[in-house]
Amino acid sequence: MNMATGVTDVDPIKVSVISSRLDAISKEIGQTMLRTSRSPIFSEARDFVTGIFDHRLRLLAQTAYIPVLMGALPFALESIAKEYAGDISEGDVFILNDPYRGNNHPPDITIAKPVFAEGAVQFWAVSKGHHADVGGGGVVGYNPAAHTVWEECVRIPPAKLLEKGKRNKSLWDFILINVRMPWLVEADLECQIGACTIGERSLRSLIRKYGLPVLHSAADHILDASERQTRAALRAVPNGVYRAESFIDHDGVDKARKIGVRLALTVSDEAVHFDWSDSDPQAIGYVNSTLANTVSASFQALFMTVCSEVKYNEGALRALSVEAKEGSILNAREPAPVTCCTVAAAQTIIETTWLALAQAVPERVYAGWGRWLAPATMGFNPRTQRPFGDIHFMGKAGAGATHGLDGWDHIGPSVTAGGLRAPDPELHELINPYTVLRYEYWPDSAGPGRWRGGIGAVCRWRVDADGIMAVNFGGGVNEETRPYGLEGGHRAPVSKVLVHRRDGQVENIDTETFFALNKGDEVEIYETGGGGYGDPLTRDRAQVADDIADGLVSVAEARRVYGWHPNAVSATANEAA
Amino acid sequence: MGIRIGVDVGGTFTDFLVKDDEGGTRVYKASTTPGDPTIGFFNGLEKAATSDGQSLEEWLRRVETIVHGTTITTNAVLTGEGAVTGFVTTAGFRDMLNMRRGIKEKQFENYAPPPQLVPRRRIAAARERVSSEGEIVAPLNESDIRSAAEQFRAQGVEAVAVSYLWSFRNDRHERRTKEILEQELPGVYVSLSTDVLPQIRAYERHSTTVLNSYVGPVLSRYLSRLQQRLHDLGFGGTLLIMQSNGGVMSPEVAQRFASNTLLSGPAGAPQAGIHYGAVHGFRNLITVDMGGTSFDVALIRNGLPSVTTEGSIGGHRVASPILDIHTVGSGGGSIAWIDAGGLLNVGPKSAGAVPGPACYGRGGVLPTVTDANYVLGYLDSAGDELTLDGGAAQEAIAKHIAQPLQVGVVDAAFGIYQVVNADMAAAISVASVQRGYDPREFVLVVAGGIGPLHAGAIARDLEIPLILIPRESSVFCAAGMLISDLKHDYVHTYAREFEAVDLDAVAQIYREISEKAMNTLEAENVSTRKVVLEYSADLRYVGQFNEVEVPAFPGGTFTSAALEELESAFHRRHDDLYGYSTPGSPIEIINLRVSARGLTEKPTVELVGARGTDSSAARTGSRKAWFNGAFSETPVYDGLRLFHGNIVFGPAIVVQPTTTILVPPDFELTCDAANNYLMHRKGSDLKALVGRLTEEVAA
Repeated sequence: MNMATGVTDVDPIKVSVISSRLDAISKEIGQTMLRTSRSPIFSEARDFVTGIFDHRLRLLAQTAYIPVLMGALPFALESIAKEYAGDISEGDVFILNDPYRGNNHPPDITIAKPVFAEGAVQFWAVSKGHHADVGGGGVVGYNPAAHTVWEECVRIPPAKLLEKGKRNKSLWDFILINVRMPWLVEADLECQIGACTIGERSLRSLIRKYGLPVLHSAADHILDASERQTRAALRAVPNGVYRAESFIDHDGVDKARKIGVRLALTVSDEAVHFDWSDSDPQAIGYVNSTLANTVSASFQALFMTVCSEVKYNEGALRALSVEAKEGSILNAREPAPVTCCTVAAAQTIIETTWLALAQAVPERVYAGWGRWLAPATMGFNPRTQRPFGDIHFMGKAGAGATHGLDGWDHIGPSVTAGGLRAPDPELHELINPYTVLRYEYWPDSAGPGRWRGGIGAVCRWRVDADGIMAVNFGGGVNEETRPYGLEGGHRAPVSKVLVHRRDGQVENIDTETFFALNKGDEVEIYETGGGGYGDPLTRDRAQVADDIADGLVSVAEARRVYGWHPNAVSATANEAA
Repeated sequence: MGIRIGVDVGGTFTDFLVKDDEGGTRVYKASTTPGDPTIGFFNGLEKAATSDGQSLEEWLRRVETIVHGTTITTNAVLTGEGAVTGFVTTAGFRDMLNMRRGIKEKQFENYAPPPQLVPRRRIAAARERVSSEGEIVAPLNESDIRSAAEQFRAQGVEAVAVSYLWSFRNDRHERRTKEILEQELPGVYVSLSTDVLPQIRAYERHSTTVLNSYVGPVLSRYLSRLQQRLHDLGFGGTLLIMQSNGGVMSPEVAQRFASNTLLSGPAGAPQAGIHYGAVHGFRNLITVDMGGTSFDVALIRNGLPSVTTEGSIGGHRVASPILDIHTVGSGGGSIAWIDAGGLLNVGPKSAGAVPGPACYGRGGVLPTVTDANYVLGYLDSAGDELTLDGGAAQEAIAKHIAQPLQVGVVDAAFGIYQVVNADMAAAISVASVQRGYDPREFVLVVAGGIGPLHAGAIARDLEIPLILIPRESSVFCAAGMLISDLKHDYVHTYAREFEAVDLDAVAQIYREISEKAMNTLEAENVSTRKVVLEYSADLRYVGQFNEVEVPAFPGGTFTSAALEELESAFHRRHDDLYGYSTPGSPIEIINLRVSARGLTEKPTVELVGARGTDSSAARTGSRKAWFNGAFSETPVYDGLRLFHGNIVFGPAIVVQPTTTILVPPDFELTCDAANNYLMHRKGSDLKALVGRLTEEVAA
């Protein structure tokens, strides 16, 4: 059927079978990572993606717990394969973290393993995940004072971590001497390699069973099928150019300057073009986005809405294109710092895309999700006698409401799409020198609407050790950046991080800011809810009554925004009876 | 030995397997009566009694044991019809239960979260705090409990769950809370996390404890009704209830630990597999059970089924140990469909029993796996209660699959057959390869009425060398229940680094839980001689967030040598599972576990003498079936007339009243000494296969 590539034809049944096998293998790689990693960022929070590529570097299948990473995989692999063209052997394993060599941002280390058959690379098993440390001057990779990428990390260009199955000792030694928690980084690199090896094992058995010509031809069919699916999904969006604008809070260096992200989204028949050219110039601080991250976040915004039924692979992406001006905030020029792009820039990209889409198909789009705002911390734990580093994933925001559904409560920022698992407070206390004092819903944090936003959370903990470095990052602390409402729905409040000092002082910590913590200090995160959808005055009275009974909406708030009169309900109830 | 009965309540049918006093085995089915499952239960018993020419009362007097698998708790959760439940937890942490760790399972789709078991208005916060080391840092505020009780009373609460932070380190606050609740709310069902699951990870502990309270009153009411009725009929034997962990328990224990029945539906299967495999000495088995809507896979290694603590039901976590049964939505009723990209898919949507497959003629119009089997000639009306409508099957497949794909109806039907087989093979792969095992070292034990139609194709795909098809494959779970032991699993979190392990403290915890186990089994009338205790521990590398369970301290010898062996066993198991281990890095012990079994009497399997290989006496005719791209006249055999030693060469179809077996052209089927079937590829030597597959798998 596929004359262009001159490959063997396979029947549609076999294609379906091979497609489900590839998905299963990609999940297998993901499961191995989940179960064996050591850094809580990998294994508890699931901040990683895995994927399978073919010999033409086309993404065939992926498993993403944190979807904003997934669109960046192809860039990373392409860079590795190009750099080592003609010099790839069986047993090689590649590493990459440099954002200017195809990686999205430095803490997400890419590991890629070629799968050989008949003397040539036939597939790639790839994984990418957020490491506990990548060196540099930041906390768990986050350095809001950085002016260049060198202050963020030890830069690793595409390189061979294993050569023909043997550890490249000098490279390992070099990486591990440059990071703060070498045993964690080493174990998690091992875990990524192990996961790719499991993927390789299953891919080899697939090759044995079907043979290469059938597999490669099936890949063509699978990708073509996804392309058709995407185009069919896009047909539901009327043609037109839709424009929208949102803001990144600031870059941590110039805290007075909000940064504009602007989109012209062109829908023409069955294709979509993202044009980000009007966005502000790149910033000095680390909220700049790499092109890989910009593309990834743009696509994620579509896959969470109009393309939600489509399998994410190379074929699905053929109908989509992205353009961002070099030197702008969404396509920064080397050596600008970029670590916060997967959060600060990506969540802004997603919101802007949804605001544009809402002009065409509001019933398919989310109101604003609460942005990420929480610290990463790092120090020494006297209890375990070990250094520690963690990101405080317990502060999870609410999701935006949609037509017909309230947003999900305590789900985390849009970039994670609900894949981020909140840590267990007991395990958290075992590893970190912290005592968790409060972790529950934040009443009145949801944006009101006919369908309200998801509820946000409050998390408060006491610090039990001295000398801890912290960085607050993400955003959503300004009037313009709190979650937006749609179709008459209201916005949700701003998020905030407070530090209650031992001496009674309370500090409100801005986003993209370093701060120190000592024994007796208490940190308190107020993570906002999602935006509302539709006029709150039209909300089902029984739902308003439920929220009041559950203490999620106060009576005062209910009166103010929902037009709540307790007697009105009993009157309706009496009529019904 | 008197009569023993296994009663398995399924979605459509309640299955009965009756082993009489002379060793005979009979199978009955009665329609399940969802409103009150006891009706179907007694209808089936009535059938059995009648066929013995006795009244139900007379017959029940001869019955020694009834083992009962119920889905009453499962259904209560899935339909939201559990007890009105209240939850008491540590102040400041009121919402952890409903936060569900903030996970949305299908990330890209927009749908409502799973319904809550307990709305926030019935969650009470009690001021109290135990530290991570078990010290009381804030005493329990008892007035918080009393006002919670008052509020619960006003809310009509029938059951309460209590789960505090770090309560497994110090249970004093939970115990005191229970005392107060029992004073304030007499008759209300109370569960404590410290009884249900004294284990680290607050959400998982909360959820399991709340589920226990949510279904406790439901199961209690059901069992009281059942026991009363049995008592009224003069039944003087033992009633045992199936658990999710593959063991059975007394109704008294079941009422206290009702959550242990939540995932018990398929839990009889592994035990059945072990039983049927034992005839040949097989100890490494994969059991598969293909029903109307689902396909359940379980792996048994060295005679032991795999266990997991990662269960969930209706979106809520059940963290107690359960049999690790992997379920996918592939069954006879699974609907075939074409996606927007033009690829053929089968399931997970199912036509169920109503409207059912198109060929049932009950109003179903969508093509299902059963329709495909019918079009291919694998399945026939003969022997079924139902007359199948071939025209309807053809039409459904033509319209929804063949025309869109531009292929013939039979090709489309064969496509459905292949896709569902591939999905089932993938499910077996998840249960074996993903857990570090090679399916080629296992025997495939096949259950379900139509499972044996697909077994050959699945085994071929996965290179599984041998298939075992029990004659009673259609009531497989009921058979497994009958031979299950009493079993209780206990866990206690220890959470210490390996170097800091205090062997005496560990031994002390193990002794305490063992004593608890012995007391429970004693109350269930198990003599000490029949008790087997197995110790294990959950270990991980320091920093990891998931543990690996490893057998520990065999025979209860708490020596430092045994502790060292535990460490190396962990590294080995980690390597098996995940492809690497790092013996140099520090490890820690998280949980200590005891699994206590009270061995029950097992019915003996009667073996019959061989009658030669000739199977022609069982041949009843032939029909056209699709093999290798064409219809060919295929011999049909009556399974009930096949005897030990008889061989049926493929292509062939073996028909029994509730089961049809497809012997593909490249397979042959042999009837064994227990009147079950062994099926393998032609050209492979059965004796050699049996010999190889009875060897232990290397650890």
